[in-house]
Amino acid sequence: MSGQKIELCKTTEVDEGTAIKVEKGDLSLAVFNLNGAFYVMDDLCSHGPGSLSEGPIHGDVVECDFHNGSFNITTGEVVDPPCMIPQRVYQVTIEGDAVFITV
Amino acid sequence: MPQILIPATQTAFDCPPDDTIMRAAVRHGLGFPYECNVGSCGNCKFELLEGEIEHLRKDAPGWTERDLQRKRYLGCQAKPLTDCKIKLNLRDHYKSHFVPAKTTGTLSAIEDITHDIREFRFTLAAPKPFLPGQYGLILPTDVHGARAYSMSNVTADGAEWHFQIRRVPNGACTGALFERLSVGQTVELDGPYGMAYLREDAPRDIVLLGGGSGLSPMVSLVRAAIASEKLADRQIHFFYGGRTPRDLFRETLLSVLPGYGSRLHYHPAISMPEENGGWTGKVGFVHDIAKATLGEKLRECEIYFAGPPLMAEAVMKTVVEMKIPPAQVHFDQFF
Repeated sequence: MSGQKIELCKTTEVDEGTAIKVEKGDLSLAVFNLNGAFYVMDDLCSHGPGSLSEGPIHGDVVECDFHNGSFNITTGEVVDPPCMIPQRVYQVTIEGDAVFITV
Repeated sequence: MPQILIPATQTAFDCPPDDTIMRAAVRHGLGFPYECNVGSCGNCKFELLEGEIEHLRKDAPGWTERDLQRKRYLGCQAKPLTDCKIKLNLRDHYKSHFVPAKTTGTLSAIEDITHDIREFRFTLAAPKPFLPGQYGLILPTDVHGARAYSMSNVTADGAEWHFQIRRVPNGACTGALFERLSVGQTVELDGPYGMAYLREDAPRDIVLLGGGSGLSPMVSLVRAAIASEKLADRQIHFFYGGRTPRDLFRETLLSVLPGYGSRLHYHPAISMPEENGGWTGKVGFVHDIAKATLGEKLRECEIYFAGPPLMAEAVMKTVVEMKIPPAQVHFDQFF
């Protein structure tokens, strides 16, 4: 079903400049907090077995700590190889103190 | 025997002193991420929290100074010297259908496939089945370390493993196999490994893309796909590329299969035609030939590929450009 809203976590659970991993059903997601704005992408790197919620964050870019490829957190676009396939990103809304995505 | 513990999930397994942490984990049925198994791809990295390990390949391409500073090692190369606590994410995708085991193989026959690819047939001391498209490790007695080669046959009982191996100029392992190993002699084998195996449940036509050393798994896949009842109504396209005509195998390798010419289509191509060389077939790289032949239909196919690094990169670029769903694309990263 499209347009389904899923609550992922509380905004207070993700410190600024960091990410956490959230699992909901079949989805394994990385939730980022960049200066108070929240972004969500698939946690599993499109290139290998890396968890992007565990990767170092530089500005709006997250690096995968397996092969040092990187992605733009806001768009999912590839920034550095060897990654080639963009990460899936999700539409995020904040309601009260909760982070939601729409799938 | 050293015990390996992953505290986050309270997962523990034994690792014999002559094994590596990733291989031991996979033998225990765990989804320890890996792909190449020989230190190149970097997919089996883990963080060492406690304990001591020895890294078999000190010069492994998939292992950097930065990894060492962060106490990260390659699971395929890490031999535990003590009990260890490690951190990594296990993933079901990497669980084995047939858990790998070590055995020995006796060379029973050899056959030339091209000027530099030869088929080596081994009879296993302890039979081990594998999925079409998977690979094994070969450890010749007089060569240091293991090399990964994909099997080319299809087997129910795993009594025989056949490998179509391309000779690497000055290669230590292929040198041993091509020059010194004779029928009746044995090598150590370990396997099966790899995730680029035949998906019989995928409801799509099949595209196989191979070049050079990537022939062997494509041959296993095509033989299995043709024999599979579940895949009986699928079209199968086999694209294989070489630099010159002598890099191509004899068509009889495929034409003996049922359905050849009707639902199995062979598309050979060369990339470096010589003037007056007599080649009248397709010219170009396999990914371009596949695009030209199938067009948009490629997006609706299950795609398997194996070959040299430049080919793999070109195929992945095609996958991205054409927006082919990545879950439909199967290969093992060997570099």
